[in-house]
Amino acid sequence: MNNWFSKLQKAKKSCIIDRNSRKVHYDFEDGKELVEQYDLLTNCVTRRAWRTNKELKGEDAWDIEVGDPEPKYDAEQKCMIRENSTQPFITRRITKINLEWRIRNMPYPIDVYSVTIDKGSYSLIVRTTNKKYYKEINVPDLERLGIEMNQENVNFCHKFNTLIITYKKPQGLREFEATLLEEIKKIPAKNYDDEINGCKPS
Amino acid sequence: MAAAAAAKIAEVRETTRVERIGAHSHIRGLGLNDSLEARNVSQGMVGQVSARRAIGLVLQMVKDGRIAGRAVLLAGQPGTGKTAIATALAAALGYDTPFTSMAGSEIYSLEMSKTEALTQAIRKSIGVRIKEESEIIEGEVVEVQIERPATGVGTKVGKLILKTTDMETVYDLGGKMIDSILKEKVQSGDVITIDKATGKISRLGRSFTRARDYDATGQQTRFVQCPEGELQKRKEVVHTVTLHEIDVINSRTHGFLALFSGDTGEIKPEVREQINGKVAEWREEGKAEIIPGVLFIDEVHMLDIECFSFMNRALENEMAPIVIMATNRGITKIRGTNYKSPHGIPLDLLDRTIIVPTSPYDEKELREILSIRCEEEDCQMSDNALTVLTRICKETSLRYGMQLIMTSSLIARKRKAQEVEVEDIKRAYQLFFDEGRSVQFLKEYQQEFMFNEVEDDQDEDKMETN
Repeated sequence: MNNWFSKLQKAKKSCIIDRNSRKVHYDFEDGKELVEQYDLLTNCVTRRAWRTNKELKGEDAWDIEVGDPEPKYDAEQKCMIRENSTQPFITRRITKINLEWRIRNMPYPIDVYSVTIDKGSYSLIVRTTNKKYYKEINVPDLERLGIEMNQENVNFCHKFNTLIITYKKPQGLREFEATLLEEIKKIPAKNYDDEINGCKPS
Repeated sequence: MAAAAAAKIAEVRETTRVERIGAHSHIRGLGLNDSLEARNVSQGMVGQVSARRAIGLVLQMVKDGRIAGRAVLLAGQPGTGKTAIATALAAALGYDTPFTSMAGSEIYSLEMSKTEALTQAIRKSIGVRIKEESEIIEGEVVEVQIERPATGVGTKVGKLILKTTDMETVYDLGGKMIDSILKEKVQSGDVITIDKATGKISRLGRSFTRARDYDATGQQTRFVQCPEGELQKRKEVVHTVTLHEIDVINSRTHGFLALFSGDTGEIKPEVREQINGKVAEWREEGKAEIIPGVLFIDEVHMLDIECFSFMNRALENEMAPIVIMATNRGITKIRGTNYKSPHGIPLDLLDRTIIVPTSPYDEKELREILSIRCEEEDCQMSDNALTVLTRICKETSLRYGMQLIMTSSLIARKRKAQEVEVEDIKRAYQLFFDEGRSVQFLKEYQQEFMFNEVEDDQDEDKMETN
C-alpha cells in the first residue's frame, strides 16, 4: 500500500487484550516504539503513544499522540514552568468517521475563531481574531500516509467553553485503518487478566 | 524609579566583581597572528616564540579534528612557561572543545585504579556534539507576578504572562524558575526564551513597542520584534557532552545524578564499548559529531611505567585526544623502575611524542612578564623597582620574583605610597627568602636543627619515593 504500512508490517508486534481494549506494541527497526490501544467495540484508536529516543539519557518519556497524557507525580516539585490551569489545552480523539480535537477553556464566541489548513506541513491552524490563541495542530495520521488535506473536510463548533474541531476522515485513511485492523487481528493476543496478571494460587 | 535605581547599582557592583588572581590568570590566548607567527608580547604571553608557534600548529591540528592520538611533550626548566602555554592553548580552543588539565600525581587514588583514572581523563577530553530537539517558549513578557507569602517563609508563587503577535498565555512558575527570573531581572516588555526542560532563560532584547518607555533602557539595549505564531516551539539545539559524561549517565541505574554526587567509581569496559559503538553509529547517521580535545598532563614524570605503557596503547585508539605533557625533569629514573630515561619517560613513548622545548627567559622578557603580572595584581611599580625585581628574577627564579610583587606592594601600601619603590622590594627581599638563600641558611645552621645527630648516610637512598 505505502511506505508507512510496510513499515508497520515489518515492525516486531505484540498484542494483549485487557478488558475491552486491545493493546498493540510495535518495535521498529530504527529503535522507535509505538503503542496503540483499540476499543474492542468500536475498533477505534483510543490511545497512541511514541517513544523515540532512548539514546543518550536512557529511557525517554512517552510522547502521547492520542489520548490522555501520562500522569505526573509530584509535578509541583519538578515543574519549572507550565501553563496555568485556566489556559486552553487540547485533547484528541478518533471516531469512526472523524478526527477530532477539543480545545477546552476557550471562552470566546464562535465568530472569533478561524480554522484553516496548511497543506505543506499537514496542519490545521487555529487563529483567533482577538489574538488570544493560536495553534498549529499537526495531523500525523494524514502526514504518514501522505494524504493531502482539504479545507472542505474541516468543521468546527463551540459549546461548553470548548472549541471542537472535526476533520472528516478521507477515503484513503479509512481504507488504511481497515487493512491495518485486519493485520492486527492476526497477531496472537494474550489476555491480560488470565495470562499476565492472573493469580494462580497453587 | 527607586527600584530601577537600586537595580542599576546592583548591576554596577556585578561588573566590578573582583576575581581571584592565579599564577596564570593573565593569559587569554597564545598570542599568535593569522599566519600562526607568535607576536612577542600578546594576550598575556611573552617570549617562547618557537614553543608558542609549535603549539599554535598543534592548535590548528586540534581544530581540524582529523588527527587523533598525538602526543606533545613540553620540556623545559622550572619557570619557563610550560603550564602557561598549556593554559593559553586551553583559552585559545574556546569553550566548545574539551580541555582536561590534570597533574601526573592525580591518578593515584584508592578509589580507582591508575588506568581507570587515565581512561576517564582521556574520555573527558573527547567531546560529542549532538543535535537535539527541545521545547522552548519564546515570547514577549506582558506581566510578571511574584508573590511571597506574608510570613516570609514557604514557597513563592509566581505567574508569568507571555504573548506573541498571535496569542497570549498565562504560565505558572516553579520555585527554581522564580529564582532565575528574579536573577535575570525579567520585566514586562522583554522578549525572552525559556528552555522548557532545563529552565534556562535567555533574554533576546526588548520589544519595539516599548521603545518609547522613558528610563528603563540602558546603552546596550537591543530592540527586537515581538515573536510570531505559537509561544511554544520545537527548536533544534546543539550541545556538547564528553564521552565520560555519557559513560557516567549510562553506567548507573540512577543515571545522571551520579554526575553531581561525584562518585563515579569505575566504569565497566562493556559500557564503554557499547557507547563507542553507539557514538560511531550516530556519527555515521550524521546525528553526532566527534570533537577530539586536548588532555594536558602536568608533571608527567609522576606517572609510572604501567601508565606509560597504557598510554602507548591508548594513543593508538582512533578516539584518542591529543595529549600534551609537561615535565621539568632531565634524565631521571622512570617511576616504578630503576631505569633512567630522558624526562623520566620511557623511550618508546618518547619516540611517539613530538617534543617542544621551552628555554629560560632573557632579561627583557622577564621584565615584560613582571609588568604584566603587576598589572594583573593591581600594583604600581616604579621603573627602578622593576629593574631591581628583574635582576632578582634573573639571579633567583621568576616564581620568586612574582611572589615579591604582592608582598612589596603590601609593604608600599603600609607606608601609604602609591608606587612600589626599590626599598620596598629590598625589604620584601630581606623578609622572604628565596630557595637559594634558604639552602645557604640551612647549610650554615644545620647543627642547630632537630635530629641532626642522626647519621644520614644510608638514609639518602631510602628517601627515594616510588
